[in-house]
Amino acid sequence: MSVLHLPNAHYKSLVSAHEDVLLGDQISWLNGLRKKAADQFSEIGFPSFREEEWRYTNVTPIEKNKFTVPRESGSVDEAFINSVLLEGCYHLVFVDGHFQPTYSTPVNDLPSGILVSALSQAITENEALVKSLLDSVVETPALGFVSLNTALFSDGAIISIEENTAVEKPIQVAFISSKAGALTLSNTRNLIFAQAASTAHIIETYHGVEDECYLTNAITEVVVESNATLSHDRLQAESSKAYHIGGVYSRLDDKGVFKQSNYTFGASTSRCESHAILGEASDCTLNGLYVGEDRQHMDHHTRLNHAQPHATSHEYYKGILNDRSQGVFQGRIIVAQDAQKTDSKMNNRNLLLSDRAEVDTKPQLEIYADDVKCAHGVTVGQLDETAVFYLRSRGADEQMAKNMLTFAFANEMVERIEFKPLRLAVLDELLERFPQTGMKKEWL
Amino acid sequence: MLKVENLHVSVEGKEILKGINLEIGAGEVHAIMGPNGSGKSTLSYILAGREGYNITEGRVLFFGKDLLEMSVEERAWAGVFLAFQYPVEVPGVSNIYLLKAALNGMRKFKGLDEVDAMEFISMVKGKMKDLEMDEKFLYRAVNEGFSGGEKKRNEILQMSVLEPSLCLLDETDSGLDIDALQIVAKGVNRLRSPERSFVLVTHYQRLLDYIKPDFVHVLAHGKVVKSGGPELALELEEHGYAWIDKKLAS
Repeated sequence: MSVLHLPNAHYKSLVSAHEDVLLGDQISWLNGLRKKAADQFSEIGFPSFREEEWRYTNVTPIEKNKFTVPRESGSVDEAFINSVLLEGCYHLVFVDGHFQPTYSTPVNDLPSGILVSALSQAITENEALVKSLLDSVVETPALGFVSLNTALFSDGAIISIEENTAVEKPIQVAFISSKAGALTLSNTRNLIFAQAASTAHIIETYHGVEDECYLTNAITEVVVESNATLSHDRLQAESSKAYHIGGVYSRLDDKGVFKQSNYTFGASTSRCESHAILGEASDCTLNGLYVGEDRQHMDHHTRLNHAQPHATSHEYYKGILNDRSQGVFQGRIIVAQDAQKTDSKMNNRNLLLSDRAEVDTKPQLEIYADDVKCAHGVTVGQLDETAVFYLRSRGADEQMAKNMLTFAFANEMVERIEFKPLRLAVLDELLERFPQTGMKKEWL
Repeated sequence: MLKVENLHVSVEGKEILKGINLEIGAGEVHAIMGPNGSGKSTLSYILAGREGYNITEGRVLFFGKDLLEMSVEERAWAGVFLAFQYPVEVPGVSNIYLLKAALNGMRKFKGLDEVDAMEFISMVKGKMKDLEMDEKFLYRAVNEGFSGGEKKRNEILQMSVLEPSLCLLDETDSGLDIDALQIVAKGVNRLRSPERSFVLVTHYQRLLDYIKPDFVHVLAHGKVVKSGGPELALELEEHGYAWIDKKLAS
């Protein structure tokens, strides 16, 4: 049963206040889409914790905070922006939801066969492509946050890889929230299109100036065509006072390969959806690592929709919860009646480091086909006392021994990151969360 | 160096050690033998500081200091080392990381600077060569996927890097084939010195063919029931542990 929330007057007024200044406001089909989404948002509002899918995540503070949409980007230190850009990548940079050409790779420096652009530019130069991708994957009935995003998105990335093209370098799309001092809301929308037999690696990263309170509402739609291979990493390193609502919605055509990984470290409350619709004989991997401390709340919802036969999916999420932090994991696997020979594995492992930390984990299997393999496992545990004793008996003090084991638990996911600059960035985020220790990066 | 006096230990209300007395001088090698369940592994765990044991009576002095008052890591820093019967796998932490953290922890305790990275590597590699260990083990996760013999050699490597005063070897021979046993024993013998003492906890005499003890103690029913020289181990081997019980009865 879905109990709908009262529409929120503040956010409704945001929509009407911005409708004439948004990207593409002269384009009628886009206006139509935005209008429809705005109406939908008016009707459904934000999700309530009385809804099953939102039971553990309370978004009331978002409504109370009355975030507003900035018409232009605030200022951010150049050094801060440079510090979040990964080496060896093509870059697209957005601040407060607005494109920053100064920090982004110029079109002339991009190889042929790919389009890497801000939506604000593509809407004039590649309107047909934008139209074909926008709102094409995200599932209905849409969530209030999705409707709000569609109604209000200020910009975002569009990345299209032509058939049979392999992009050598990863493409990083960095979203930064400035030191605006105002409660800003960034709505960004990314469209990713890996055409048949193409190969690419895309990295989305989210950052904010520390101690700033803002809301990021970011949605990515992904299409992986036949025989294409796409890797998508998402690093969420927002300010610890921020709110982050994100979603990656993907569709895999036959024999498409998609690997989506989430690394969640920041925000006071965050929620990330990773939904995939799997075509015939496609292969989808959803991985994640979340590390919470203080009173952070981190919610991951994944949905693997096996719509066609012979597809495989692998899902592995690990979480570490310290202090009074709370983790939520919901892994839903749906195997349609026709999706015979589906092979799907899901695993969620959690480490609780404090008596007051909490995790709510829920695997959900809905299987309508009869010839399938589906395995799932969930664990919630503490550090192994024998291992702590072993390390201490070698002269590591208790805190260091615990940190080493905690690090080791997380590092299983970090080690899988093949692209070194990203691996080091994730490692930095991880080590930052072991402050009192001698965990030394140069020793690893 | 080590003095165990009337040590009584229980776990969950059940008494496991019932008044152990043991004195180990510098440079000595002691073997503690006994049947399964005699409490010999418990003794090595207690000396290393494992939690979960209730010490009801007695005391343990290490260089004149109360060992039982010290935390696990303080004992390590003071020079106690336990080579585990089942070395723990620590996925994600490389061998070299642990060795560095352990050695520098100890140096910090002694007021010394961190070890120089280059010197450290060449020192460790030299010791690995002695133990016939491939250098690639340095960069592998601690004990992860190691064979039984590799794990035991790794314990001896850690021991030789940390250079403890008191080495406790808990069933080091278990699960080793004869070749691995010889390599491990050679590693231990290389570490023997007038300042360093060893306690070999073992079920079988076999290990003592390779590491010659100065003293042998038989632990049974939570007590040291017999002490003697190396010949005691041979007698045990010949007659079995039942022989001890019979002698005690008569």
